[in-house]
Amino acid sequence: MIIKTKNLTKEYEAGSQIVKALNGIDLSVEKGEFISIMGPSGSGKTTLMNIIGCLDSPTNGTYYLNERSVSELDDDELAKIRNEEIGFVFQSFHLLPRSTALENVMLPLKYSGCLENEAIERSKKVLEKVGLQDRVKHSPSELSGGQQQRVAIARALVNKPSILFADEPTGNLDSKTGNEVMNLFKDLNNQGQTIIIITHEDKIASQSNRIITIMDGLIESDTRN
Amino acid sequence: MLIKESLVSAITSIKSNATRSFLTSLAIIIGTAAVIAVIGLGSSAEKALEQSIDDLGGRTLYVSPGQNRRGAVTKGMIPLDIKDAEALARNNEHNWRISPTITRNRQIKFGNANINERVGAYLPIHFNVRGYDLEHGRLFTEDENYGRKRVVVIGSDVPGELKTNVKNILNNEILIAGVSYKVIGILKEEGSTGWQNPDDELYVPLLTGAQRLFGTDKVDSINVGISNDHNIDAVMMTIEEILRAKHDIGPGEDNDFRISDYSQFADLRRQATGIFTALIAGIAGISLIVGGIGVMNIMLVSVTERTREIGLRKALGATQRVIMMQFIVEAILLCIIGGIIGILIGTSLLFLFASLNDWPYALPISAVIGSITFSALVGLFFGIWPAKRAAKMDPAVSLRYE
Repeated sequence: MIIKTKNLTKEYEAGSQIVKALNGIDLSVEKGEFISIMGPSGSGKTTLMNIIGCLDSPTNGTYYLNERSVSELDDDELAKIRNEEIGFVFQSFHLLPRSTALENVMLPLKYSGCLENEAIERSKKVLEKVGLQDRVKHSPSELSGGQQQRVAIARALVNKPSILFADEPTGNLDSKTGNEVMNLFKDLNNQGQTIIIITHEDKIASQSNRIITIMDGLIESDTRN
Repeated sequence: MLIKESLVSAITSIKSNATRSFLTSLAIIIGTAAVIAVIGLGSSAEKALEQSIDDLGGRTLYVSPGQNRRGAVTKGMIPLDIKDAEALARNNEHNWRISPTITRNRQIKFGNANINERVGAYLPIHFNVRGYDLEHGRLFTEDENYGRKRVVVIGSDVPGELKTNVKNILNNEILIAGVSYKVIGILKEEGSTGWQNPDDELYVPLLTGAQRLFGTDKVDSINVGISNDHNIDAVMMTIEEILRAKHDIGPGEDNDFRISDYSQFADLRRQATGIFTALIAGIAGISLIVGGIGVMNIMLVSVTERTREIGLRKALGATQRVIMMQFIVEAILLCIIGGIIGILIGTSLLFLFASLNDWPYALPISAVIGSITFSALVGLFFGIWPAKRAAKMDPAVSLRYE
């Protein structure tokens, strides 16, 4: 069991009102799963990803990541977990524009205190894995959208995370490159990588093994293909 | 590797906003340049002063005419004359070198050139007392002094001022106040001492000057050269005894002459220069602090602009400490770069000023290290707050910042 949450809630203060983004989420994720989280905007799917991605902490409820309770960890411990256990892929890639593909991929390794030579070796290997071995020295502006997203995926994978989160990873790509990225995810999943994708596209969701639909901060449906 | 990453990130950020970075550090640049130039000029001036004191070859006491007060009635200046100097010269208790001087401005002619220049009448020993060296020809002798010969030794700038050169003027006659004198020697360039410029002066034997040129035996002053190991107070007492006896001053009456010590002037001047330097450097230092506020301002802008980058770095595992370090390093680097440019500009200004004034070029290394350190501290101090703001950002929120 990689992820286990129990009665997860999250409340925001918006002015004088209290907004309930999550209303009690019970979710379990096994190693090797390929999950899509779906739901209309405002349903709470992003909040859920932020919490299980350790970018945010829940108001109430418990969250175990790899059997470890993370709902009460401090900032530095959360940073360490984000660095070592979790890989993020974003809709808008979020690459550092003035760094090369290699430097972008190396970034998490720098934060984990890896030695430079080893970091370069490992980053090159991951770039090779996503098919960018001849784009190592290119900066993001010299790469196509699909290539940029593959750099971002390499960056998410470089520290061998237990879980890979992708927030609308094909949202900024045309359908052909979107498919290429989805095929890459499927390959990675076949090699045992646990992946959670947030999407609102049925076509994307249907490629995963399990679809969770969120509505008003609650799990509305949880189906396995 | 993390420090390297912080440095690389800081350099990238500064480079990609080159104009903004330059404008931000401008106040630091100006402040550092001013501090360096002022401190450098202060120590150059002091060094020039020390050099001119060293050039005197030991210490020189300076006896000048003073006022005589009998009761409440103040008489005019009581002059010193050549006989006073001779009385001092007869005493050999302190092995001193007595050199009386008379200086006046006179019209000098050579060929078509006609200038008004300072002419000084001195004993041959004067060159030795003041440490002046000969470049061409020879100095005048005791015999020429006693013979009231019309010979003249000139300062190194004089041939140029007379629109001629060394070769043409040496051993030729020039007209001083309409009377011809033979140029027998030309001095080495001495440089201005701040009191006078020996390179512009013409030197004639004392008695020649007194009788032929100035028609007076009243001297402006008597230089008393002594070596450094002499007891100044004892020497002053002896001078006083001799001159009081010579001027027939009774017990309880005031001296009608003054004895001053060049090094007293030097100390005063050194003090004044020091205070002035500290004052200006302090004011310039304030502009460094003002510059720091500019740096803080631009760092806050930079933090806001890079909210998404901060969110990303946090998502990838950067701790608060790492983010904070990244921005502090950037602020410090910005200030240090400004400091280095400022030091380069400041030293160029100093070099320019010093060479215009013929001063030796002196910049204490402590001023350079000090201003770099101070710039870095300004960067650290004013970088902390923006960096803290960056570090405290919520990763989930900042990742979605538009």
